Amino acid sequence: MDRRTFVKATLAAGSTAAFGAMPQLASAQGGKPATIAFFVKNVTNPFWKACRIGAEKAGKALGVTVETVAPTKPDNIEEQTRLVEDWIVKKPDAFVFVPVDYKALVPSIQKANTAGIPIVNYNNKMTDVNIVTYVGSDDEVMEYEICKDLFKSMGGKGKIVHIDGVPAAITAQARKKGFERAVKETPGIEVLASQPGNYRRLPAVQVFENLMQRFPVIDAVVSANDDMAVGIAEALAAAGRGGKTKVIGIDGIPDATAAIAAGKMFATADFSGHDQAYLAVTAAVRHLRGQPVPKEIMLPVVIVNKDNVTKFMKTPEERDPPDWNTYASGKA
Amino acid sequence: MTDAAHPQLVSRSPVVDAVVNAPGAFYLLAILSVVLAIWTPNFFSTANLANVALQVAVLTIVALGMTLVILTEGIDLSLGPLLGLCGVAAALLVTAGYPLPVAVGSALVVGMIFGAVNGTLVAVVGMPPFVVTLGTFGIAQSVATVLTKGDSVTSLPPYYRWFNDGAFAGIPVPIWATITVFALTWFLLYRTKFGRYVFAIGGNRRALILSGTRVNAYHIAVYVYAGLLAGIASFIMTARMNAAHPTIGVGIEFDAIAAVILGGTSFEKGRGGIVGTVIGALAVGVLRNGLNLLGVGTEWQVAIVGIVIIFAVGLDSLRKLNA
Amino acid sequence: MSAETTKFPSRWTSLDSDQLFVVVSRLIALVLLVGALSFLSPYFLTWPNLINVLRQASLQFMMSAGLTLVILTAGIDLSVGAILGLSACISASLISSGYVVLGIGSALLAGTICGVVNGVMVTISRIPPFIATYGMLWIAFGLGYVFMKGEVIYGLPDSFRFIGAGFVGFLPVPVIVAVLLLLVLHFMLHRTVLGRSIYAIGGNPDAARLSGMPVTRRLITVYGLSGFLAGFAALVVIARVNAADSSLGEDLLLPAIAAVCLGGTSLFGGVGGITGTAVGSLILALIVNGMNLLGVQTFWQSGVMGAIILISVLVDQLGGTRLARQQ
Repeated sequence: MDRRTFVKATLAAGSTAAFGAMPQLASAQGGKPATIAFFVKNVTNPFWKACRIGAEKAGKALGVTVETVAPTKPDNIEEQTRLVEDWIVKKPDAFVFVPVDYKALVPSIQKANTAGIPIVNYNNKMTDVNIVTYVGSDDEVMEYEICKDLFKSMGGKGKIVHIDGVPAAITAQARKKGFERAVKETPGIEVLASQPGNYRRLPAVQVFENLMQRFPVIDAVVSANDDMAVGIAEALAAAGRGGKTKVIGIDGIPDATAAIAAGKMFATADFSGHDQAYLAVTAAVRHLRGQPVPKEIMLPVVIVNKDNVTKFMKTPEERDPPDWNTYASGKA
Repeated sequence: MTDAAHPQLVSRSPVVDAVVNAPGAFYLLAILSVVLAIWTPNFFSTANLANVALQVAVLTIVALGMTLVILTEGIDLSLGPLLGLCGVAAALLVTAGYPLPVAVGSALVVGMIFGAVNGTLVAVVGMPPFVVTLGTFGIAQSVATVLTKGDSVTSLPPYYRWFNDGAFAGIPVPIWATITVFALTWFLLYRTKFGRYVFAIGGNRRALILSGTRVNAYHIAVYVYAGLLAGIASFIMTARMNAAHPTIGVGIEFDAIAAVILGGTSFEKGRGGIVGTVIGALAVGVLRNGLNLLGVGTEWQVAIVGIVIIFAVGLDSLRKLNA
Repeated sequence: MSAETTKFPSRWTSLDSDQLFVVVSRLIALVLLVGALSFLSPYFLTWPNLINVLRQASLQFMMSAGLTLVILTAGIDLSVGAILGLSACISASLISSGYVVLGIGSALLAGTICGVVNGVMVTISRIPPFIATYGMLWIAFGLGYVFMKGEVIYGLPDSFRFIGAGFVGFLPVPVIVAVLLLLVLHFMLHRTVLGRSIYAIGGNPDAARLSGMPVTRRLITVYGLSGFLAGFAALVVIARVNAADSSLGEDLLLPAIAAVCLGGTSLFGGVGGITGTAVGSLILALIVNGMNLLGVQTFWQSGVMGAIILISVLVDQLGGTRLARQQ
């Protein structure tokens, strides 16, 4: 093929590809309904899928367009910074935002502040930025409560292993603080090891399988999230140690509730991304409509164990939307 | 402008390089600009173009160093974690109270030391660059993470922001940095003996070795230079985030390699140049920016990036076959 | 990766001296490792732990096997992890819905298709393997994200899970599968035309082409095989973990390359073998196991892995057999 034909072919191919991408275009700019840019940390963890579903439900209920924004490289700081900058240019009506790193994303959100875009912060609390409100749970209190509950069921003594999340994430840091507080208050508890599993199942399982060899007796495992906890519970069951070790997680994902119902896991905490996202989007819309919004919306800690697990087995799609008034009047 | 007896010992004029070999990146950039101008109202706005320029600055600086490495038929996978490590080192020193020049200087030294290690193992010992830099990738990653226990370094003094937010004559510091690094690299590559050796190491290493020149020193210097540039880029990145994160650079080495190859530099035979690299980095930046502006869903963005890179490089290869 | 196209004295390309050095050096390394770990940790030499290590090594081997073949041809496949992830997602969704056979087939098919596309790009489109497989990495991850949409698939039927979590006697099934795979691939590499072609292409691509070998066809087969094996490994992984999500393929690439390098296969091509990768996988699993048993913070693990890679290739280099290759 000669050069000219080549160039024409390239242009044709390129334009066709661009046209092909049209269905993916969002009705973002200047449409009648308000547009909310809804940020999540990645598209792989089911927690963010639950958030997305909650956000879209809220959007539908309130008549606004919700665009989900995530980095192509999961949890990538540099990419999320670029996403914020690019979206500032697009001028949506509001951001509902969770930072991949609560410190590193401050400068870009400050830019959003300067650009006059209202920010509702959810899930990972940011400081040094102007936000309309923060919607989330107190990770520290959540982990503290669920650990105290676990330790009580152990009679206040035993050997435990702690599997941490992503060390730089504020949720992991807060949960670890809560864990350490609970341990300090329970002198009979001995922490055998604390290793990060990075919130993901396979790495956590690999770490734990090796820890299992090192510690023939583990009375309980405190896992910073459910994805890791379920994997660990399965590893224990596979090794025939299922009945002897209690496993707790956080999130309340379907796999975990199923494991609790089946007796493989001891407990989890309902850290509902669905509810958080729903309330966060609602807060953003209310702000845009001039309605009152509290400075902070904290979802209460709900421990899910064998006694109440049946109430938490709905998928995010099936789950009922949280009622604004219940949560918005300060602590529920 | 080649010497018949030593086809690669004399480098081609860079301008001729750029025009004759208009790389895939050039066409990619052109197509993207047209498409984005039509489909988005925002692409050509000053705010957006300024954003893209800033976003691309770090990648360009790293890619310039990578170009030299690839010209010597090598590769440097450690530049990403090295960026994180240098950033962390400088940030830790600054927050510990050391003066800025000390912190910055030490970080650059760290980058250059890693580069020296890479270069020595590749040039003197003869190990495959992919494997060497894979090893130093892991080591740099670990050192950076251990230094901060996986966390990021914050509470940086406000003057550190200058690396990203400062400006001379209305042009932001990162752009000046990119221009300076480009000029320096240009000078080194096209106006010094070092540059000629860079091309030669890639194109005709045996001739060099047989002619008795001290190839190894120059070969190592290439990797040292890449490490130095990674260090420079790390300050800008840290300032941008107002925090130094050990894993901030992970993945950038692959983007840099893509930018270099898209820019027309070949893995083999020491062909290519830095003008193409800049175009390549711009193309990558505009592609990502454009996908965001178009509102393309994240999942599709990932696949599209892969397709576009393959497409652009593939057309390049086919064209070279037919030329 | 550019293969050095210099000509060497034929005795250097003889596999025996290379492989002998690799085997001996790795055996020494293994013995030292096992000795050190037994000494340092009372839990190391226990049966459950050793079974654990064997199982992890087997999984690692399955993930690195296809990559070995590609690297032997002086190529590289950066997409192995992503292909594994994509195959895992597709097959898990079918298997968990009850279509076990279809699910297994889909993993192998998806892997093979991706691999063949890689091969075509590398040969017919003349795209450097690094870029081609890097692009495929993005495509495979992207397709995985599109397919899964953030969903996680839990709960596979026990009959299927046997291949990942089951036991035959006292040995975990993955170990047996890995050994069988090793035997098959070793036979293929040393007793079939394809195998000999792989070494020839990696050692001296120009000579291979001049000798009339259908290099393009062979390379496409190799990359296709790499994809197929990634799909195969995916099945064992999801059977083991009993779940699949689109992030499964992350973090798999670098250990896979490490295992290949540890096994003595050179990235310059033409040197090494599948047995080396098996040994390399074992060494890698031992090192990770050792670090966890000894309580080494996971932050250090990538650094240790990097250092081990450097040391092992350095040893190979200084062992003399590779030095000739570089000249």
